[in-house]
Amino acid sequence: MGNKALMNENEKIQILKDILFAEDSVYIEKIAHRLENLESTLNDKQKFTHKVDPIIHDQLEEFKTSIPTTLGPTITAALKTEIKKNKDEVVEALFPILGKMIKKYIAHEIKLLSEKINKQLSFKNKIKTWFNSSSTKKEIIDELAASKIEQVLLIEKDSGILKASYSVTETIDEDMISGMLTAIKSFVEDAFGRKDQNLELIDYELYHIHLQSFNRFYIAIVLSGNYTTQAKDKVQDLIFDFFENLTKKEDYHTLNTERINQQLAQNFGHADL
Amino acid sequence: MQISKKIVVLGHFGVGKTSLIRRFVEDSFSDNYKVSIGVHITKKTIEFSVDESVTLILWDLEGTDDISHIRESYLLGSHGIIFVFDVARPTTFQNLGKDLITLKEKTNDVPVKIVGNKSDLVDAKELDQVLSEKNISYDYITSAKTGHKVNQLFEELAKMLAINA
Repeated sequence: MGNKALMNENEKIQILKDILFAEDSVYIEKIAHRLENLESTLNDKQKFTHKVDPIIHDQLEEFKTSIPTTLGPTITAALKTEIKKNKDEVVEALFPILGKMIKKYIAHEIKLLSEKINKQLSFKNKIKTWFNSSSTKKEIIDELAASKIEQVLLIEKDSGILKASYSVTETIDEDMISGMLTAIKSFVEDAFGRKDQNLELIDYELYHIHLQSFNRFYIAIVLSGNYTTQAKDKVQDLIFDFFENLTKKEDYHTLNTERINQQLAQNFGHADL
Repeated sequence: MQISKKIVVLGHFGVGKTSLIRRFVEDSFSDNYKVSIGVHITKKTIEFSVDESVTLILWDLEGTDDISHIRESYLLGSHGIIFVFDVARPTTFQNLGKDLITLKEKTNDVPVKIVGNKSDLVDAKELDQVLSEKNISYDYITSAKTGHKVNQLFEELAKMLAINA
């Protein structure tokens, strides 16, 4: 009987609660429902992506348009500082690329000039030249006297110390050749008083030494045979390719002589000029 | 470790720079060649152990009475300098202080060894007196003719460069 009276009491309290908190309970129920929805959205990748993607997209679009004004000056300033700090490395990296571009431009201009000259030559002159030339003889002579790479030296510009080398035949001491070449180079460059110009070619009888200067180093290539403009062009390409590859590699900074020697042999060893 | 170092040998005319190098490199004494572009290059490798050596690339510069006239491009990238004077000829060392300042301006912090050569021509006691009177400090007194202290000079320089490499 007492128990029945207690249950009634509880029921009464519940009824009272329902009356007093009717509005709140609807509100709580709504929040619970929303939370449930939110949880399901968060846990479901597809639903979450659907909700978030447009926001990210909008933010990215805004970032794209605002980046030149907001981050632009900071990035430019940082780049300028880095270039100033590592001037030598930047020059070293750009040298082969710029060299190739200049070479291509000059070759293109010469081709245009040559075409122009050819057009201006009279038909009579062309016929005369054609009859006078002995192409077969010339081809044979050219083949016999073709340029051949005998030796390649990678030399430190200031000290004249040999850093790496490749040689087809045994020659006199390469360290001493490097030193003397550097001294001759310095002497000639000093003699003309032009610090911004470099000695590029030394000729002696049937041999030629092609010199290509970079920032810290220069490359000396000893060639035998007839060193034609065409061969010179190919040698320059080989040098630029080699140096471009070298500056990209870790060997360039650590100067792993053995590995650079291998690379020299690989680049210049079987070069067909 | 095998390293190469550039050493420039310089000083006034006829102080024995070439003879000093020749004594060290070839162990001979003669002075019968002419320089054409103002420099002659030789080399010698000094081995400290099986896998440790220093190759000295020796740049023998043409003598000059005025150090300020030395071709600066020949000094570029040098790792060590040997300044030679003739102990029997005071004109070659009387301006030593000034010469060294000029050299320092051209080479910054490259180590310099000061060497008085031709010790065979003078009396050791008299030489000491002359040099101290003139307040000349030096690293070595050598004789290319007899070989006195020549190897020690180059070996000490090589060791120093190997340690700093």
